[in-house]
Amino acid sequence: MNYVLKALKPYKKWMIVAWILMIIELFVELLLPFIMGKMVDEGILPRNLQLVVFWGSILIGLSLFSFTSGIINTFFAAKVSQSFAYDIRNQAFQKIQRLSFYELNRFSTSAVVTRLTNDVHQVQITVFMILRVFFRVPLLIIFGCMMALLVNVRLALILTCIIPFSIIFLFLMMRRGIRLFTKVQSSLDKLNRIMRENLAAIRLIRAFNRGLYEVNRFTEVNKDLQRNTQLALRFVELTGPILLFVMNACIVLILWFGHFQLTIGGAGAGEVVAIINYGMRITHSLSMLSWIMMGISRAKASVDRLNEIFHLEDEKEVGQSETASLVKRATLEFNHVYFSYYSGREVLKDIHFQVKNGQTVAVLGATGSGKTTLFQLIPRLVDPDKGTLYLSGVDIRKIPRNKLRKLVGYVPQESHLFTGTIKENIAWGNRDADFSEIVQAAKDAQIHETIVSFPDGYDTVIGQKGINLSGGQKQRLTIARALVRKPKILLLDNATSALDVQTERKLLTALKRYDCTILMITQKITTARLADFILLMDEGRIIAQGTHEQLLKESDLYRQINVSQRESGVLRHEHVAK
Amino acid sequence: MCRKEKAGFYDMSMWRSSQRRRYGMPLSKEEKQFRWVTIKRLWQELRENRRSLIVVLLTIFVNSLLGISGPFLIGYTLDEMIYRRETVPIPYLLAALILVYLLHSLTTFLQNYWMIGIAQTTVHRMRTKLFHHLQFLPIAFFDKRQHGELMSRVTNDMDNVSTTLNNSIIQITSSLLTLSGTIIVMIYLSPLLTIITLTIVPILFAGMRWITSRTGPLFQKQQHYLGELNGYIEEMVSGQNIVKIYSQEDVVIEGFIERNEKLRNVGYRAQVYSGFIPKFMTLLNNGSFAIIAFSGGIFALHGLVTVGVIVTFAEYARQFTRPLNELANQFNTMLAAIAGAERVFDIMDVPKEDERDAQDIHQIKGEVMYHRVSFSYEDKEETVKNIHFHVRPGETVALVGPTGAGKTTLINLLSRFYEPDDGFITIDGMDIRKISRTSLREQFGFVLQDVFLFEGTIRENIRYGRLDATDEEVEEAAIQANADSFIRQLPDGYDTVLSQDGAGISQGQKQLIAIARAILRDPAILILDEATSNIDTITEMKIQEALKKLMQNRTTFVIAHRLNTIQNADQILVLKEGRIIEQGTHDALLRKKGFYYNLYCMAEKELI
Repeated sequence: MNYVLKALKPYKKWMIVAWILMIIELFVELLLPFIMGKMVDEGILPRNLQLVVFWGSILIGLSLFSFTSGIINTFFAAKVSQSFAYDIRNQAFQKIQRLSFYELNRFSTSAVVTRLTNDVHQVQITVFMILRVFFRVPLLIIFGCMMALLVNVRLALILTCIIPFSIIFLFLMMRRGIRLFTKVQSSLDKLNRIMRENLAAIRLIRAFNRGLYEVNRFTEVNKDLQRNTQLALRFVELTGPILLFVMNACIVLILWFGHFQLTIGGAGAGEVVAIINYGMRITHSLSMLSWIMMGISRAKASVDRLNEIFHLEDEKEVGQSETASLVKRATLEFNHVYFSYYSGREVLKDIHFQVKNGQTVAVLGATGSGKTTLFQLIPRLVDPDKGTLYLSGVDIRKIPRNKLRKLVGYVPQESHLFTGTIKENIAWGNRDADFSEIVQAAKDAQIHETIVSFPDGYDTVIGQKGINLSGGQKQRLTIARALVRKPKILLLDNATSALDVQTERKLLTALKRYDCTILMITQKITTARLADFILLMDEGRIIAQGTHEQLLKESDLYRQINVSQRESGVLRHEHVAK
Repeated sequence: MCRKEKAGFYDMSMWRSSQRRRYGMPLSKEEKQFRWVTIKRLWQELRENRRSLIVVLLTIFVNSLLGISGPFLIGYTLDEMIYRRETVPIPYLLAALILVYLLHSLTTFLQNYWMIGIAQTTVHRMRTKLFHHLQFLPIAFFDKRQHGELMSRVTNDMDNVSTTLNNSIIQITSSLLTLSGTIIVMIYLSPLLTIITLTIVPILFAGMRWITSRTGPLFQKQQHYLGELNGYIEEMVSGQNIVKIYSQEDVVIEGFIERNEKLRNVGYRAQVYSGFIPKFMTLLNNGSFAIIAFSGGIFALHGLVTVGVIVTFAEYARQFTRPLNELANQFNTMLAAIAGAERVFDIMDVPKEDERDAQDIHQIKGEVMYHRVSFSYEDKEETVKNIHFHVRPGETVALVGPTGAGKTTLINLLSRFYEPDDGFITIDGMDIRKISRTSLREQFGFVLQDVFLFEGTIRENIRYGRLDATDEEVEEAAIQANADSFIRQLPDGYDTVLSQDGAGISQGQKQLIAIARAILRDPAILILDEATSNIDTITEMKIQEALKKLMQNRTTFVIAHRLNTIQNADQILVLKEGRIIEQGTHDALLRKKGFYYNLYCMAEKELI
């Protein structure tokens, strides 16, 4: 199903009006040479002033008429294409908001941005042009030929014979041209990549003195880009002159043939003039044809890319369970859960454990052992392939997502903040929170004092990724954002990694006041010890679970970690309160 | 005739760039006068190709002449046919016409062929120059600028320049030549009809002026709103997990619609006005056609002109409006390109890091001394104040202190990413300002907290430490860095291609690769920014072990977070608010019972 084209439907009436106006314009243009021919044959040559004036006035009147319809057409075409683009952007963005996290991950952020801006713009321009020139050109060629035939069959035959060949030639050249431009695009992408890497790693490059090495790398790709661009542009430039010559030769042929016809009286001079004029107009249109084909093929690629988004599946809602009972108690149970990504790599294998209401669980394990994925299962950012998660005994797939998520406070590993004030950022967690609740959350997250030390306090504006905040400050803000929600389940994905010991302790103490079940990923055994029990993960499995003491007894790996951390203890002085 | 039919073909490439031009284009409000400087500089860039450029200009001249003679010959031939003057046999005329057309097509192709070559080599040269220049700009330059903006200069802005060079030079010269040529021939044929035809010129100018004065500001606004929308999408999509978790989809959609509406409204007006241009041109085309036919018809009745002249004029009128139209079109493209070129030149004008009277150093012992060094980032309060300490060759210095205490700044100053405002640093007794940055940094090995990996194989990434290292040396370094075993487990081993910023391997593994890089480099001075977190303990153990080997017999600066690193350091610098507040060995500092003592006790308590 083509979602993009469907979006044009509401504007059908407007489009039809635009087309009618366009056709009016076209016919006027087609009539002009015809009238000129008439004027020559009936007015000028027989020296009839009245008819010259008559036809002349018609010529002027008609061009004004055509102009008026052209202007009105512009309003309609712009209205349709802009509204259409607006709709598509809205729909696509809404679609993205409805996609599951899993599906959306198929696209990089920049891919989404290009689709919503570049691709939509491309399609929008094409729609605008379709309403103005795209149909006009083929119509002009067809009707131009017909008009020429009407004027004089024998003379026009030359014209009509050559046109199909020209079109085929054009088409072949275009196909190759497009292929060449695809190559240009891929060189350009490469160039962009090197440039992006270079900017991102600028310090590393300086530190390693790799400036010239990078320049070489860049020059190579740049050379490639130059070569491909040159080739593609030159090839395209070939089409125009060849086509022009063929069409011009055709006009010469008409002149030559017309010369014979004139001498034997088979055609009037005006007819020759008119047909030559048609020939010239058609020639002009032919060159537009390649531009149109290019435009349409670009637009088609854009439409396809947009449809890719529309074809993705929405997050499915299965059940409508009551959440009232869940709100009171949040026990969590993983029942033999398996999960794998599109690549087929199994990330979680046979995860099985239970957390009682109000308990705190620490999750320990190497990077890539599946801890984050385990967390993402709980608010249903992803769904398991096999096995079930129960929240207070209810299969979470039966709970509407927004209700489920309302119970969850999630602090991801990467602290993503949004453009806006600190207050707004905390309020993300709960739009209904009043200021005192926001302050309370900030206090509990141990960030209140930092915030009030800023000149604008809670109204301090932070950049896209909280650029003017340190890592630890960002982390604590994202924690406040989760706390303001008063969650039943709190997920902390390495959320205290940048905090010093004291702050972390204070934070964990503050959390006690929240009646919630806490799962926290941590690397620090000292932190893990504070939990009611610990899950030790390795390669997607839980290899041990229990309290610190139990694990010390039972798990070799845990003992190893314990020893090594004692040896190379981490001095967390980074955020010692001033 | 049909001189500018190829306009359609140009449009294909112009379309391409026009859609990219919209990206991140800041609004330029520089004055016309300033633009001339830019044009002059662009010309400097073109100078290297000036011989080919002269050839192109000559071809354009011939081409324009041929373009003018086409319609003239047709009119002449028609008159021969109609009035049977029999001055020149018609077959001769037709043969001449064919020849004119053939040469016209040929020269059209050649002028473009050559011009494309010139434009692309110029753009290539400028791009490389720009990139090269970027490599030698002070780090502070990059601090102030967004990556996207810089990227757009290398691609979009350069692309605009390229389009303009490709098209504008030919279009403008040939338009001007055709215009003047056509007027001359027209006057020769019929002065009266010429005057009538020329009446469209003021109308054209007035009309175009009216339209462009409206489209300009609208397009700028459109650009601005598009940028806003762009940023919004980027922010929301990259934070999508947060949006979802907090069920903010509706709020986010609302914000989007709001921005989208702004874009639509301004986009509509911009499109309507700019849509007038082709319609207006058609009116002038058709109108002049009608006027010429009308008045020409009357003149013909009085025997003032012939039918052939009318046909010639009709075609000339088109040739006439079209170059004018081209000039107007080219004007917009050129403005964009000149603004783009200006942004490129802006960067090229930023002075490179000063390397005058800098010396190269080679073998160094690794003795480092900070002499009362103070430094502040751009108009902020001083980040480090009066830092003074001495490091003997082979020593390990641990930098300890809260965030923002100036630890990283000290390292940045040592590697000359920035220059101290006051005081200086010496290596082996030599002021580092006197040492060339390249040879200075050649002495350093860096293992930074945020490891950056390039898109490429693991092997290439390790080899970044020393480009001439053999495969064996790379693997040896990886073994030393405890990275070999995990690398071999990857599907393609050392040839595993890492995607964007090394996704697919863990933070800890990235660290190991960075250590391998440093081992391969074998530097005299090692600079180490210990990772604080996110590394699992097993990998952490491997990292510690590898680092221990790496630090042996090297002057090492560590931004330290690990107790064992700190305890084993030869001296510890405790920094707070840009000053060294305590300094000494671990034991000495403990005895002092100061800031460090508190820190240490806290960490110890936690471990027991």
